[in-house]
Amino acid sequence: SEWSLESYIRIPNGQSAPGKPEIMRCRSPEKETFTCWWKPGSDGGLPTNYTLNYYKEGEELINECPDYKTAGPNSCYFNKKHTSLWTIYNITVKATNRMGSSISDPHYVDVTYIVQPDPPMNVIPAVGIQDGKPYLLVKWSPPPLADVRSGWLTLIYELRLKTEGEEWETFLVGQQTQYKIFSLNPGNKYIVQIHCKPDHHGAWSEWSQEKYIQLPSDF
Amino acid sequence: LPICPSGSVNCQVSLGELFDRAVKLSHYIHFLSSEMFNEFDERYAQGRGFITKAVNGCHTASLTTPEDKEQAQQIHHEDLLNLVLGVLRSWNDPLLHLVTEVQRIKEAPNTILWKAAEIEEQNKRLLEGMEKIVGRVQPGDTGNEVYSRWSGLPSLQLADEDSRLFAFYNLLHCLRRDSHKIDNYLKLLKCRLIHDSNC
Ligand code: NA
Ligand code: NA
Ligand code: NA
Repeated sequence: SEWSLESYIRIPNGQSAPGKPEIMRCRSPEKETFTCWWKPGSDGGLPTNYTLNYYKEGEELINECPDYKTAGPNSCYFNKKHTSLWTIYNITVKATNRMGSSISDPHYVDVTYIVQPDPPMNVIPAVGIQDGKPYLLVKWSPPPLADVRSGWLTLIYELRLKTEGEEWETFLVGQQTQYKIFSLNPGNKYIVQIHCKPDHHGAWSEWSQEKYIQLPSDF
Repeated sequence: LPICPSGSVNCQVSLGELFDRAVKLSHYIHFLSSEMFNEFDERYAQGRGFITKAVNGCHTASLTTPEDKEQAQQIHHEDLLNLVLGVLRSWNDPLLHLVTEVQRIKEAPNTILWKAAEIEEQNKRLLEGMEKIVGRVQPGDTGNEVYSRWSGLPSLQLADEDSRLFAFYNLLHCLRRDSHKIDNYLKLLKCRLIHDSNC
C-alpha cells in the first residue's frame, strides 16, 4: 500500500523542570548573623535559577534572600540587620528553569539553636611548677567573631591532649580560657587542641589547630 | 560570703554576688525548660507538625524585647532590668497552672512533672532576686508593674487531644524561648554593670 501520512514525534532531549532543592544546613558563628546552604536537585539540563524565600514567625511578609554572594554558591547570608533571635524563620528554596519550577521542603530556623562558633585561637601550652609539682598550663582566646566580652555569647571549652600514637584524653574546662593538667608523663611530646560551644545550645566548634609541647624529662 | 565589717549596720550581699546568683538561676531555669520542651516534643509532638503552627506567638509578645545584640545594647540597663522583671512576672501565673495541668496529660512522665514544679519554684526565686537587684540599681523606683496576662488555661483543658497537646507544646516552646531571653539579658547586664562590658 501507500505509505500513511507522515506524523511527527519530538524526541525528548533530556530537558525537564528542575528537581527539588534541599536545604542542607544553617549555621550562625556568633549569634549575630547566619548562613543557609542548599543542595540543588537536577537542573533538568537547562540553566536553572535558585531563589531563597523566607518569612519570620508572626509576619505575613515573604522576603527574598538578602545576600546570595557573601557565603558562596548555593547559599544565603543573613547579615546582622536580617538576623533576629527568638524568632522562627520558615525558609524555602525554589529552583526555576524554562520547563518549570520546584520548591524545597520548608526549613525552620531558630538562630539560637544553630550557633556553631569558630575554633578558639592562640592556643599556647606551657610548663609550670606549683607547690613543687610540675603541670601543663594551656591558655587560649575565644574565636574572634564571638562577642563574649559583652555577655552576648557565653562559651564553654573542652580541651584534648595526647602523646603521639595514643588516644585523646578530653577535659571539660567550663568558661575559663586556661587550664592546668597535672600528672603527665615526663619526656613526652604532647598534642593539645581546644574547641568551644555556646553554654546552652548549638554545636561544638571544630578543634583548634594542633599545638605541640615537649615536656622536660625531669618533669 | 558577704563582707561584714564589725560594727557595720549595712551588711549586704554585693551586687556582683546577686548577679552571679541570678545568672546561675536563670541558666538553670533555661536548662530545665529546654529539657522539658525536648521531652514533651519527643513524646507527644512527633508527626503532628506542631512547629509549623507554633508561630501564633507567646503571651509575652506584647512586651517588646530586644531581638538582637544591637537592640539589646541600645536599651538602657534600667529598662532591660524592668523588661526581665516583666517577663518573669508574666510567667508566674502560667507556671502555676502548668504544674497542675501537666499532671492530667496521659502518662506524663515524672521527669516532666518534676521539671514543671521545679521551674515554677525557681522562677519565683529568680523574681525575688531580680527585685532585690532592681532595688539596688534604681533605689526608690519600685519598678513598673508591667507584665503580660496569660489567658491560656482553657486551651490546656481542651477536650480535643490534638488541640490540647498543641497548647502545651506552644506554652513549653514559649517558656523555653523566654527563659533563654532572660538568661541572655541577665548575662549582658552582669557584664555591663559588674564587669564594665569586659567579661
Ligand atoms: Na549564594
Ligand atoms: Na540583627
Ligand atoms: Na549562650
